[in-house]
Amino acid sequence: MRPVENMLDKDMRILVVDDFSTMRRIVRNLLIDLGVRPKSIQEADDGNNAMAILRNVRFDLVITDWNMPNMSGIDLLRSIREWDKTKTLPVLMVTAENNREQIIAAAQAGVNGFVVKPFSAATLEQKINRIFERLAVSEASA
Amino acid sequence: MSTPYRLGLDDDLPQALRELLDSTDGPAFERALDAIVHQRERDVFRTLGQLARDLHETLRRFSAEFARDGVAYVAADARQELEAALEMSAQAANRSLDFAERMRPDADALVQHALAELERTADDDPALPLARRALEFGLATRTALADMVLAQSWQDLSGRRIHKAAAFIGNVESALLELVRLTGELVGEEAHGTAPAVSSQADADRLLAEFGF
Repeated sequence: MRPVENMLDKDMRILVVDDFSTMRRIVRNLLIDLGVRPKSIQEADDGNNAMAILRNVRFDLVITDWNMPNMSGIDLLRSIREWDKTKTLPVLMVTAENNREQIIAAAQAGVNGFVVKPFSAATLEQKINRIFERLAVSEASA
Repeated sequence: MSTPYRLGLDDDLPQALRELLDSTDGPAFERALDAIVHQRERDVFRTLGQLARDLHETLRRFSAEFARDGVAYVAADARQELEAALEMSAQAANRSLDFAERMRPDADALVQHALAELERTADDDPALPLARRALEFGLATRTALADMVLAQSWQDLSGRRIHKAAAFIGNVESALLELVRLTGELVGEEAHGTAPAVSSQADADRLLAEFGF
């Protein structure tokens, strides 16, 4: 199998969505470890707030937790797919459980990647690279 | 004259029941049967009510034991205790993250300076071992800080479990309240005032207080 190339753009604008501030900081730190500029990373504490930000700012990737109050990760994903301006926005879903039903539901809703907590910077990088590698392939074949 | 049909009933049945079943008066039979069923229901609900009160008493004694140890620990406070534990764990995790974020630029700078020093230092320069050591230390510190950040994931994972436990306690409180209210109504022991529907934890707490919880 061909090794995954590093497709993580250092200027990539990333929205991190999680109701736990600790987890948002951890993901932010991991992304900075991977070379992403701190100013390119924004945070939201639930799906509703994430959608409010997404309506005003363009992002290249959303990393969202599954379990959140008000609007969960799966509902956020569905909202992103429903809205014209964000329907193709890559979404990486984060979850605390390796739950088959969750993975199926997320796949059906159009998720681009799925990562189980806790995860290292290397795992996060691999997941992000996979997402953009697949997108590059689908764009090339379109 | 025909002999009335008699059911082949067990002689151990109570006299009242045997007479009832032998009765040819339909409406009287219905009324008597309803009375028996209601009596049975009352017994069941009294038992359920007693169970709910026993559970409450057990919780009360449990709370009293903790109170004796100087810890305010009533059932309703358990959720707050869990939330406080969650808050403390978040503070601890954030302090660790503060430290890692503060030290990371220093570690990066040390690595860069050490690399620059190694490039311009001659092989016989006495500063060379120190520059090498500084580079090793800087790299090791950077790795350790990254590991420390990752280790804080426990707070998120344990926090979610604490949330679930707090929600469970809330559900038990609400269910207990409903049980007491339901059994109270069914055995005709109305609570003080009208018991409103439980729509929030605050409602549940207020109603529990009305029932002495």
